[in-house]
Amino acid sequence: MNRTFGDRLLLALLIGAAFVWMTPMLWVLAMSLKPNAMLVGSTRGILPWPHTLENFATLMRVSMTPRWLLNSVVVAFAMTALTLVLSSLAGYAFARIDFPGRRAVFLLVLAGLMVPEQAIFVPLHAMLASWEMHNTYFSLVAPRLAAPMGVFLMTQFFKAVPRELEEAAELDNASRLKIFWSVMLPLSRPALTTLGIFTFLFAWNDFLWPVVTATQPEMYTLSVGLGSLQGNFAMSEGLGFLMASAVFASAPMLGVYVVFQRYIVQGITMTGGK
Amino acid sequence: MKMKTLLPATLLLAVTLGASPALAGTEITLFRFFGGCSDEYAHVTDLSKAVGECGIIQVLANKFNAENKEGITVKTQSVEWGVYYDRLSANVAGRTPPDIAVMHRSVLPNYVVRNLLQPLGKDFATVGIDTADFVPVAREAVTSKGEVWALPFDLHALLWHVNADLFTQAGLVDAQGQPKMPTSPAELLRHAETMKAKTGKPYFAIPSGSDPMPAWQYLTWVWQQGGNLVDAERKAQLESKESKEALRLLNALYAAGHANRKHDYAGAQQAFLAGQAAVLVNGTWGVDTYAAQAKDPKSALKNYVVRDMPNLYGKEAVWSDSHTWVLPQQPKPDAAKQKAALVFLKFLYDNNLQWARTGHLPVRASMLQSAEMRALPHRAEYTRTATIATALPPIEYQRAHMDLLVNELNSTWLVNKEQDKALSDAQRAASAILRRSRHR
Repeated sequence: MNRTFGDRLLLALLIGAAFVWMTPMLWVLAMSLKPNAMLVGSTRGILPWPHTLENFATLMRVSMTPRWLLNSVVVAFAMTALTLVLSSLAGYAFARIDFPGRRAVFLLVLAGLMVPEQAIFVPLHAMLASWEMHNTYFSLVAPRLAAPMGVFLMTQFFKAVPRELEEAAELDNASRLKIFWSVMLPLSRPALTTLGIFTFLFAWNDFLWPVVTATQPEMYTLSVGLGSLQGNFAMSEGLGFLMASAVFASAPMLGVYVVFQRYIVQGITMTGGK
Repeated sequence: MKMKTLLPATLLLAVTLGASPALAGTEITLFRFFGGCSDEYAHVTDLSKAVGECGIIQVLANKFNAENKEGITVKTQSVEWGVYYDRLSANVAGRTPPDIAVMHRSVLPNYVVRNLLQPLGKDFATVGIDTADFVPVAREAVTSKGEVWALPFDLHALLWHVNADLFTQAGLVDAQGQPKMPTSPAELLRHAETMKAKTGKPYFAIPSGSDPMPAWQYLTWVWQQGGNLVDAERKAQLESKESKEALRLLNALYAAGHANRKHDYAGAQQAFLAGQAAVLVNGTWGVDTYAAQAKDPKSALKNYVVRDMPNLYGKEAVWSDSHTWVLPQQPKPDAAKQKAALVFLKFLYDNNLQWARTGHLPVRASMLQSAEMRALPHRAEYTRTATIATALPPIEYQRAHMDLLVNELNSTWLVNKEQDKALSDAQRAASAILRRSRHR
């Protein structure tokens, strides 16, 4: 394939921009491979020399790390699966079922986009406390299932599906649930994938709510657990360990990005950026 | 004996025997920051093997668990420093408060005024904690309305960490060859000029970005002039002449290049360790780290010494705070846990000197003057700090107050905000905060 000069120039610029964007991540990786004592004096340089795996070994020696990893996996998968179920059902109802007050309820759901999550923390916390439900998977997952963005995304998607497809299924005597399951859901795979990826990423990186509801170390997610290991001066005296924690926690997410890159780009286009 | 007399006698006997329920098997939660290192120090009970804040408090808990005769178990819950107070407040609001929590003295008034803590004065006397042995600033720190609300554990204060070689190179030494500290603002600026001229290095390394360090130095200079953040009626005093002078001096240092206004905490520390600044303004907590770095043959910092805060304006004062231990009010009081918590506090009180190995100063006068304390590296160089340590006034919303002060002060050297404007903006915001707290 012959590339024009313009193409080559653009490619070079993009490679340069990508390198600039990647430099902080490379720096984090380099620091995670340097001894803490050395980083107190200097954090310069990408090349990790002298290098050590001690920071990662320390992380692995923490007996709770596998438990925190498991909690993150459980929470992220549960939140993703349940958000997909609820958002697709709600989206389908708003897009296709003409029930009384549909518009008002839909506006109410969208209004949820304007409420900052911090604003509802206190009543949410008090409610779960009165039920004695803190430090459970329920308290980690359930409050995050109200996802107005997911409902909006699925509603818009289902609205765009031609009605004729449903009508054809109705002629074959398919029930509403059958139509949803056999016709609409297979068609909505791109939207579901996008929503699933974003929900999973959000759940994995979530810190604020888990740090409030999970007070027992056994129920910490990975982000909360790794945070709890930091000393008061981690940014200077435990920097290598801090960076190793960052690498460890973000590695699964980097994998998700690599595998689902195409869908993530599609999703950003579909939602107008998130 | 009749039933009428038997019952009170039995009760009296129970009270005489301590009225304490059996403590064997009692588990109490210790809620703290300082980091998580329970695995690194699993089963370690030898305090000499513990290093740093996390290591020492963890090994103290391990040692207590292994050796206490009552059969009490302390279970640690470590929380990241940045979200610690949010988590503590959430636990209290959720009616699941810990049995013991660490708390800065500057935060204590927020919890005392809301009646969220247990008063401890009488209980301390029962378990043998002598509040008369606390140094005055520590005793005042935990006392409010005539009641003691916490066990003070340390004094942490601002120090000047000094590269003595640069002082020698600049000729800023006394007759004994020791670094010469300034005694007035004018002398400080002269010393800084000399340092720059003779060594080419700035006098100061101060974490100056979003760090509170310059605000603590500013407060120190305000107090040294006899000023304060609030007056006796708790009205903000941020536009006072003392406040203006302290901010002027800080800005004069930055403007003349005697401190790098872009340094953050790690950056200022790295500059000092690389021999690129003569004085690092930082707290007691840095002493052992810098002493260890200075022993490294590759380190540019060879001759490290510590100095108490120099008195530039006449009145001795230095910013300080304390780590204290509190017992939150419990929605369902449990006498056994309450008693167990007090037994653990007594253990911490007895081992106050161990905590001094973090660089912080012990709060017990008897330990502060002890030979063991003086034997710790550099501690003899800053024992005076315990007598000049000054605490923030005990006002509610102290953290909000400090945050706005840090933002306004830092804006004068970071974005060249006019100094008078910064102080008047700070005064207005601080007054609003103080009005809210006075109404409670």
